[in-house]
Amino acid sequence: MRPTIVDPHEGKGPPLIELAGVSMEFGQLRALEDVDFQLWSGEVVALLGDNGAGKSTLVKIITGYHEPTRGEVRAMGRRVRFKSPAEARGLGIETVYQDLALIEELSLWRNFFLGKELHKKVGPVSFSLHRREMQRRCEEELKRIGITRIRSADQRVSLLSGGERQSLAITRAVYFGAKVLLLDEPTAALSVRETERVFQAIQHARDQGLGIVYIDHNVEHVYRAADRIVVVERGRIIGSYVRGEVGIEELVGLLTRGEPHELSLLPATADGQS
Amino acid sequence: MKHFSDIVSKLLQARAFGAVAAMVILAAVFQTMSGNFLTSSELAGIAQVAAPLGIMGVGVAFLMISGEFDLSVGAMYVFVPILMGLLLTKLFWGVWPAFFAALAVAAIIGLGNGIITTHFGIPSFIATLGTYFILTGVTFMVTGGYSIDYFHPNALFTMLGATIGTEGLTVPFLWMLAIGGIFWFVLNHTRYGNWTFAVGGRTGVSRALGVPVRRVKTINFVLCAVLAGFAGCTTFANLSSAQPSEGSSDTLLAIVAAVLGGTSLFGVEGSIAGTVFGALVLGALETGLVLVGAPGTLYQAMIGGILIVAVIMSIRFVSVGSLLGRFGASR
Repeated sequence: MRPTIVDPHEGKGPPLIELAGVSMEFGQLRALEDVDFQLWSGEVVALLGDNGAGKSTLVKIITGYHEPTRGEVRAMGRRVRFKSPAEARGLGIETVYQDLALIEELSLWRNFFLGKELHKKVGPVSFSLHRREMQRRCEEELKRIGITRIRSADQRVSLLSGGERQSLAITRAVYFGAKVLLLDEPTAALSVRETERVFQAIQHARDQGLGIVYIDHNVEHVYRAADRIVVVERGRIIGSYVRGEVGIEELVGLLTRGEPHELSLLPATADGQS
Repeated sequence: MKHFSDIVSKLLQARAFGAVAAMVILAAVFQTMSGNFLTSSELAGIAQVAAPLGIMGVGVAFLMISGEFDLSVGAMYVFVPILMGLLLTKLFWGVWPAFFAALAVAAIIGLGNGIITTHFGIPSFIATLGTYFILTGVTFMVTGGYSIDYFHPNALFTMLGATIGTEGLTVPFLWMLAIGGIFWFVLNHTRYGNWTFAVGGRTGVSRALGVPVRRVKTINFVLCAVLAGFAGCTTFANLSSAQPSEGSSDTLLAIVAAVLGGTSLFGVEGSIAGTVFGALVLGALETGLVLVGAPGTLYQAMIGGILIVAVIMSIRFVSVGSLLGRFGASR
């Protein structure tokens, strides 16, 4: 007899992102095989897996870099076929790359509003950039995320630490109304305190109702930051756990052996050596 | 004392600082040596030398800020008026159509530079070096090395290159100020300017934020080429003669003006006002050396020295700035 499963997402509407039976092939190479995946509003889902497991491919399908060979992608409940990352971005699917978030030599406000500049208007015609307003708003956001030693948004990004940059990039995405946020190793090479800062920005984004996909190798970071952990191995999803349902040791075991710790209902991979 | 250090750091941050400082030093030296450097006719002479360099330099600075180089500007500066002169004297076109046709050709060549660089991924250094040789070669081929004179007075030439008043102030100087003003506004106060800054940095960031990197760079190549051609036409109008040899040795002076004005060789940073000052410094140097009776050849040697000092100074200021943290602001 099956136990009654309470769906935690009941009544929330469709997931923000849903992949159904998605496969991705590059020539002979099968990067993803028959993957089902959901991302809901207000959750942080970590993708865990070794290099080449298919995490990046999965993310790139969501962000519109790749069109899947087979299967369906739905965004906010509607079937989508992204032809470019710009299309995905148009639906509020934003990516924050570890080292491609901000332009170091450029001032904070120019970075923050890059591509979404505010203008002064003369009648209906936008005339010139509204520098003061952009500076003010950028300073406000900096203060809100606890970067207080910066005196002016006219200063350069290069004055920020790595964690501060990541936080600012995440904050920027939230500020401009992103619904889905993809983070590629946002805490790589960061100190403990810096990592904490980034986690705070992630929590804030989640509390605003964003769905966040978080890629990382670091099992402990993943365990701290994620509400749900999805393990990818050889192009398949081999496990999906709510945090607390699985221990760190089990996750490490999964990663190193490349197969579920205990017998699971998922099919084993054909060539799954341990 | 906080105020004082703020003012000092603001001054050092200003990208035009080096050019302004050089200007003051040159003026002091030449004034002391000759006693009549700061006269209206000498200043008009400076303005005359500086004007085409400044007009070209503005385009060069704009392109450099967006992370690309154009080594062909000097050749463009020579080629476009030659082309205009040929249309006037060989095909008997009117001045207006000849002028616009020549500028259109400049735009197409600039577009070519842009496409070669952004779509084929060839460094702009190499692409525009190629263009430089092609333009120089074609210029000599079609002229045989002789200048093209056009002495018929006309409204266009007056607007482009007339001399105003008795001291010899020329219209191109006003064009430099006007063009400088327009491009300063575009760079600092429009979205396109913001994108120009941004694409000079790591392009992945801009692309990820939806900035059309290739388009911005390509447009800046076109602007740079057209401004170089336009500068050439003002000289043509001013002298009533298009010279195939002029500019060949001065090919890189517009780039020197931009660098003197604080434009970074690595993109993102730069100043239009600084570039105009940089052009004025070059004008002052040439005019002043003539005034004190130095051999003409000294000019080039001195420019080389000044360029190296300027680049070292700009790199020093940047690194000192990031060390102290407080000088770090940019536009």
